[in-house]
Amino acid sequence: MAMEKVILIGGKAGQGTAVTSYFIGKVFCELGYYVFNYRDYPSLIRGGHNFNVLRISDKPVYSHKDKYDIIVALDQKTIDLHQKNLNKNGFILGDDDLKSKKLVSVDVDLTLKKLKAPRIIENDIFIGWLFKYFGIDKKLLLREAEKKFKTKKINLIKKAIEKGYTLGKIKEKLKRIGKSKYFISGNQAVGVGALSSGIDIYIAYPMTPATAVLHFLAKKQLDNNILVLQLENEIGVANAALGASFGGAKTMVGTSGGGFALMTEALSLSGISELPLVVYLAQRTAPATGVPTYTGQGDLKFVVNAGHGEFPRIVVAPGDPKEAIMRTKEAFYLSTKYHLLSIIISDKHLGESDYAFDKLERSSVSNERFILKKPSKDYKSYKITKDGVSPRAVPGQGPVVRATSYEHNEYGNTIEDAYWTVKMTDKRFKKLKYLKDEIKKLNPTILYGKGKNLIIGWGSTKGAIIDALPQLKDFRFLQISYISPFPKEIVKREIEKSKKVILVENNVTGLLGDIIAEQTGYIIKNKVLKYDARPFVSEFIVNKIKRKP
Amino acid sequence: MRIQDFNTKEENTWCPGCSNFGLLQTAKNALVELVNEKKIKTKNIAIASGIGCHAKIFDYINVNGFYGLHGRVLPLCLGMKVSNPELTVIGFGGDGDTYAEGVSHFIHNCRYNADFTMLVHNNQVFALTTGQATPTSEKGFVGASTPLGVKEPPLNPITLALVSGATFVARGYALDFQHLKGLIKKAILHKGFAFIDILQPCITFHNLAPYFKKHIYKLDKNHNSGDLQKALLKAKEWNYSLEDKAKIPIGIFYKTKRTTFENQWSQFKKPWHTLKRKISWEKIIKEFK
Repeated sequence: MAMEKVILIGGKAGQGTAVTSYFIGKVFCELGYYVFNYRDYPSLIRGGHNFNVLRISDKPVYSHKDKYDIIVALDQKTIDLHQKNLNKNGFILGDDDLKSKKLVSVDVDLTLKKLKAPRIIENDIFIGWLFKYFGIDKKLLLREAEKKFKTKKINLIKKAIEKGYTLGKIKEKLKRIGKSKYFISGNQAVGVGALSSGIDIYIAYPMTPATAVLHFLAKKQLDNNILVLQLENEIGVANAALGASFGGAKTMVGTSGGGFALMTEALSLSGISELPLVVYLAQRTAPATGVPTYTGQGDLKFVVNAGHGEFPRIVVAPGDPKEAIMRTKEAFYLSTKYHLLSIIISDKHLGESDYAFDKLERSSVSNERFILKKPSKDYKSYKITKDGVSPRAVPGQGPVVRATSYEHNEYGNTIEDAYWTVKMTDKRFKKLKYLKDEIKKLNPTILYGKGKNLIIGWGSTKGAIIDALPQLKDFRFLQISYISPFPKEIVKREIEKSKKVILVENNVTGLLGDIIAEQTGYIIKNKVLKYDARPFVSEFIVNKIKRKP
Repeated sequence: MRIQDFNTKEENTWCPGCSNFGLLQTAKNALVELVNEKKIKTKNIAIASGIGCHAKIFDYINVNGFYGLHGRVLPLCLGMKVSNPELTVIGFGGDGDTYAEGVSHFIHNCRYNADFTMLVHNNQVFALTTGQATPTSEKGFVGASTPLGVKEPPLNPITLALVSGATFVARGYALDFQHLKGLIKKAILHKGFAFIDILQPCITFHNLAPYFKKHIYKLDKNHNSGDLQKALLKAKEWNYSLEDKAKIPIGIFYKTKRTTFENQWSQFKKPWHTLKRKISWEKIIKEFK
């Protein structure tokens, strides 16, 4: 019998639901369980209602559920909002002043008084209580607490956990079931990918849900000898990044839709100046400010087309953190080698959810800088070559190096004549052929499961779709990771092989469907779409697909 | 090093008689002298330009350079400088470029104090777009987009730079070559963000040369360029309007020392591309287990 627990932890912002949930997840990862941790929070700092959903299983899981076995309620609102989704045998853990028929209460006030502890320590009492309930060894729990909570309050936290442990009753006997797992979010994975690619400079302006990458890399900058800058706005960020790239630094920027919109003039500049640039876009619910701390996949066609004019680009959409590490390194590699814009597109759901993996891997692509060791005196920045890639020199090496927003000749000087305009445009587009060959080697799509029928999706929907597959008869899932250049031969072939084709996207119109139509000529009419700012859960997908003709 | 060494083969497309010719020659002269005085290295010079008449200078100086977008000279310069602190970075911007489209970058780069130079060709008009008002056009300026005359007072970039924390603030005149050359050399040698607003009359759309001839005077030793309050008073002497009694000071308004942007960090301080990284994968992923 498979073990699976779904725990919701809810409370006001500032009550520590995220930290508590992450910690519980981390302990289960240590014991070898697979965990998915979903964060749901509004755009405010104190108050409101935050909750996390932890799904813990002895089998791999890549998404959360909306039915819960246990609710840890830090306030009454958590009960009022979520009690209806409690499973039949489920219960609510909380303070004894909360009201619910399902409440298993702890006298928090008295316990805190005895501990001489502030209210925030309440979470640790519940943690102790829960792990006792699961029958998990107290020593291991306390050891994990020491690892995780590196604060002055650690002794108090440990005491509170122990106290909670004594108050609880053993119900189950969960044991270590295997090697401990890696527990990582999509944003952390993009940071890991950047570090593993040999990033030199990361520049950003804070914007949810991409900010975590800025924080992650900023914290690690001294240890890893990289530079992390927050500048005045996204226009400054993107242009400074191109200046840095011109100077020879491996540079990345990160933002969400609104900031990305401001960067678009610079994306166009990277196109004509042929300077490598990696952009991380974590989508949130748009248009405009939209639903800022929630998820969506509404920016796909924007990203594919962002920037005025025509120029080749790389757009890659990882579906989980493990893949995000790989794809980020690929994005750096392709951008650096072909002097192109690489965009990594993710979203709030992938960026801020924690996933568990047996192991993490980095792509085997090269970290080379692709900069000439000793450029010759007659160096030309935009030399016409067979593959369209001009050997790269950087300022300071000796010869004159130029980059420009104007159409130009091989030296990078401005031209306006028809001959060079065509010549340089062709040069830039020549790269596409080589780029397509490269991408073929990088698994631009991934196929899951077996069946006559096909689900197509991209990005963060991957988790819920994979988790839905076992409940769907005769369905396989094609995840499309490279959106540009688009792997049209594979997609076309898979569509042609299938009886039913269903598109699953977290947006209103099915943007990938449009791209598929444009690239393959196939119009997918069967769509499962969701645009309520919330991510998919597998049950939703199963129910929708079962009802499809 | 001779001035010809900085020439390119590009055809110069400024209007015949444009004051940018003088500015170009002066900038090249300043660079030649600094190279010959061994204060800078030719291979490390990197320029950036925006978009507008000023920006054509990119094609006429044969040094490393980035011909950027309208208004974005300063972020480009900042990026170039942080990617390689050994570079001598010089930005060329226009008044529309720097004070309209890119004014936020201007304010913040005054504050950041990275070690590079910003030369603004201020002709008080959008010239390449055929004569519209910029933020430094005088009140009453009549252009194609303002046939009724500009209603607002102009922006004073000298004051703005001073209050934004710039560590070198000067005004030059494109037609006073010797004086301008001295300013440019000092600006390039200044450790920190050096800004010169260069009055550069547009002979086609806004020829203020006769006005400037009458009203410009040079700041001399009586002006204490180490005193911010005095600098602000001097800056306010002329508000970019064309009043009859105006006195227009040129020279260094203010100069001070402050730690540069790039000196604030303890990371690698050489060109990043020369860094050979040893990446420890195990170390990077350790914290997630």
